[in-house]
Amino acid sequence: MSELFSYVCLGVGIVFSFWGTSHLLQRRSVFFKLHSLSVADTLGSMAILFGLLLNRPSEWPLLLLAIICLAIWNTMLGYVLAYCSSGNGKND
Amino acid sequence: MSMSMSIILNWVILGMFVTLLIPIYTVWKDDDVWQKMLALGSISTKTSILILVVSVLRDDWMIGVVGVIILSVGNAGLMLLAHILKRLSDL
Amino acid sequence: MIGYLNLILRLVIWFLLTANLSVPNIIIGVTIALLLPHSHKVRGSLTDWLRALWGTIVAIPQAYMEAVEIIFRPHNFEEVTMEQVQPNRPPGLVFLDIFLITFTPKSIVLKYHEENGGYEVHWVRRRKKV
Repeated sequence: MSELFSYVCLGVGIVFSFWGTSHLLQRRSVFFKLHSLSVADTLGSMAILFGLLLNRPSEWPLLLLAIICLAIWNTMLGYVLAYCSSGNGKND
Repeated sequence: MSMSMSIILNWVILGMFVTLLIPIYTVWKDDDVWQKMLALGSISTKTSILILVVSVLRDDWMIGVVGVIILSVGNAGLMLLAHILKRLSDL
Repeated sequence: MIGYLNLILRLVIWFLLTANLSVPNIIIGVTIALLLPHSHKVRGSLTDWLRALWGTIVAIPQAYMEAVEIIFRPHNFEEVTMEQVQPNRPPGLVFLDIFLITFTPKSIVLKYHEENGGYEVHWVRRRKKV
């Protein structure tokens, strides 16, 4: 049961990550790409890590720490990039 | 580890590798510096997740600790670079 | 009371880092958590903090729901709005607010205006706003 759920998490993570990253190839503004990258890198990677966590329960403290750090740092990077690139108004 | 799990993890690594090619291509092709920064941040997250998946597949927790350390230090360098670029464009 | 929340946060990080529940490690963790500098000023009310912490827990399923939504129904239009909060919030709460807004995929904070207490939020929408 937990193995099946771990496969589901890994699959969802891969799909999120591929869908979000594929938006990098389009010609859109930096902000629009940031939205899809937050799907890909934060949520997709969290799903993959959660799948690994179910797969490897003995190492749960480090993997949980990895998930928390990933969420915090990636979100902050998104905010910092949005803040810094919004200064000059030529991002369209 | 079960046989099916290691096969699945191999496919996961293949999928992540194909996904990793997209931001690398973007860094090479795109000229705008902010688009490059986006793609570089994406590369750094994806590689550290890839390290963790490889460590579970090879059942070697030493590699996994490296991945966790990279994730918890975060991409502070990219944030600093973003601030420097903003200052430079404000001049 | 908020001091206790701060202490618990530090202890949780310490035990996740060391993954060791032996007595010496607990003593070391509690000592470090007490010795690290903390300010004695009361910053924000307890209910504000509890609401923000509850928001963090709710934000995770909400973020996944929004992600599924923007995958299956393309949101192609962008918009910038101002969200008002009361001015002079403590920095920790402002950080949590910005974190929560940016964590959900449909919205990203662009800038925080300190003097009048507002966030500039960038959204993706399904339809063009008229």
